[in-house]
Amino acid sequence: MLDIILTVSFLSAFFSAAVRLAVPLIYAGLGEIIAEKAGILNIGMEGVMLSGAFFSFAGAWLSGSLFVGLICGMLGGLAVSMLHALLSIRLAKDQSVSGLALNMLMLGVTSFLFKLLSAGQSYQQINTMPTIPLPILCRIPFIGNAFFNRDLLTYLLYILVILTYFFYRRTNLGLSLAAVGEHPRAAESAGINVHRCQWLSMVVNGILGGTGGAYLVLVQLGVFTENMISGRGYIALATVILGRYTPFGMFGAALLFGMANALQIRLQTIGISVSPFLLAMLPYLITLLAMLGTVGKDNRPESLGKAYIKGSR
Amino acid sequence: MKKFSALLLVLVIALSLAACGGNSGSNSGGDSAGGSSSGGSEKGLQVALCLSGAANDQGWNQTAYEGTVKVCEKYGCSLAYSENLGTADIAAAFADYAASGYDVIIGHGFEFGDPALEVAATYPDVKFICTEADASADNVASFVMACEQTAYVEGIIAANMSKSGKIGGIGPIQGDSLVKIINGFEDGARSVNPDIEVQTAWTNSFTDTQLAQEVAAAMIDSGVDVIKHCANACGNGAMGAAVEAGIWCQGDSYDQSSLAPDNILDSALYNLDIVLDIALTSVVDGSFKGEVYNLGMSDGAVSLLLSDNVPDDVRQIAQTAIDQIISGELQVVRDYTVRN
Repeated sequence: MLDIILTVSFLSAFFSAAVRLAVPLIYAGLGEIIAEKAGILNIGMEGVMLSGAFFSFAGAWLSGSLFVGLICGMLGGLAVSMLHALLSIRLAKDQSVSGLALNMLMLGVTSFLFKLLSAGQSYQQINTMPTIPLPILCRIPFIGNAFFNRDLLTYLLYILVILTYFFYRRTNLGLSLAAVGEHPRAAESAGINVHRCQWLSMVVNGILGGTGGAYLVLVQLGVFTENMISGRGYIALATVILGRYTPFGMFGAALLFGMANALQIRLQTIGISVSPFLLAMLPYLITLLAMLGTVGKDNRPESLGKAYIKGSR
Repeated sequence: MKKFSALLLVLVIALSLAACGGNSGSNSGGDSAGGSSSGGSEKGLQVALCLSGAANDQGWNQTAYEGTVKVCEKYGCSLAYSENLGTADIAAAFADYAASGYDVIIGHGFEFGDPALEVAATYPDVKFICTEADASADNVASFVMACEQTAYVEGIIAANMSKSGKIGGIGPIQGDSLVKIINGFEDGARSVNPDIEVQTAWTNSFTDTQLAQEVAAAMIDSGVDVIKHCANACGNGAMGAAVEAGIWCQGDSYDQSSLAPDNILDSALYNLDIVLDIALTSVVDGSFKGEVYNLGMSDGAVSLLLSDNVPDDVRQIAQTAIDQIISGELQVVRDYTVRN
């Protein structure tokens, strides 16, 4: 068995699969970090991604253009996040309840709209984005092909992760956004408009989450299927905690999840006689174990999930 | 302003609930066909269909929905249906339909068997029909399709088409009616070439399309050149991977040739219209018995749709196997145990 696993071609293909499985998580995770840093917990990420996936498919299918599809996917995700923002910022409602409700709502809405879209037609498919190998970089052994023989959305993601890191470290706006999540009253007294910052971060949250869902449709599959996000939104929340609210930490956590998933399907095809139920647990088990290792230093924004009401004490 | 936004929200939620309600509510179809004609029944029966997924999933549930609509038109029955029923909701849905006066309630899938038995005892006048289940009582009949027969022939085709000697079978969740397909596929392939490598994998989900695609990609990486899936909607991902890699694939439940026009070898068809026709006819003519029926290729309940990509010699081999199964000369073993 080990002689199959420890070959260059196996490992190279394995890393490629891990990256493909991780990219939607990283998009959603990045959006979630930005929301949570501003104090808004968006459990509705599953719904944001599902909306992004559906509307990107609908847009690309009806217009015949992947770019239009991507924009529609972003707007689809944005709409869900705005609903969450309205409930949790403007109306100061319980963020967990709102998020869960949005997940169920979007499952129904996307399934219903897909039914309208596909009525009386056979399989609908769109062409997916091409891969563009980056010269030199894509020839790095093992990981070159996995990371640098990808599509535009994946390359954009690398840039976004790096930009997010510097945004929170180096810019005033970044510091303001983080301050809002730590201590909104102090931030307000320092002249920061708390609600405006939170709305801004929710806009980014929706666009990034929607892109994560759109990636599945526009790059990976070319089809929409009901409930196709299948829990990725929740895993993205876990990667944020696991990565301790830092872009690079989250990136690593999502990659770990992608690797665990890529490994379990490969073990199955090799014919390792372990129940696939146990193998399917593997990624979640790794997430739990890794979280056990981070007890007590989780880096969580102080006022995460608490609605800020202006002037209250 | 705050009140206005709250009101707006309530409206949005109410609208979306209405949308969801439309999803799982009752739609009447074929109620105008009239009972006086071909059916022979005096008045149209009220039929309810319960599905585990969406009626337009381009697979398992759509075949059942379209089949039921067809049969209901034939007999002038009125039809209501419920979609996306989780295992926990089945008994409640059954009881709802039974209490509101439906004559025949159909549950589509092995998971509907036990709830049918549970509810049937309370409503002795209502006939329960379950597909793929193992349930029987005075007013409960199950109709099991011999999907392993089509899978067996698909295995024969796959083994004949494979150049690498490696083929793959992808299933969603290890339920009885899915395990028997994967096992039948493996048996069929081994009947051609005992040394063939049959890789099997389960996605543990009916909906995770990306994972099914990655499973197929993993198989392709290791040299598999024919992939059979029975993974419902998420199998679309497996077909996509096959197209991208330029290998053969085999569809399930529905004519899936438009997903992979140049790569598809065949689609296994589960002809629910014939199964449900047999089932509903027994109710209409009064011959209904609470038994578990086995319906195979000889009844037309399952069949194989070969694509033009299959070369003539392989087509011949497949047709011989099909003829032998129909005549009873070739017995395909139904095996519910998960192999590895």
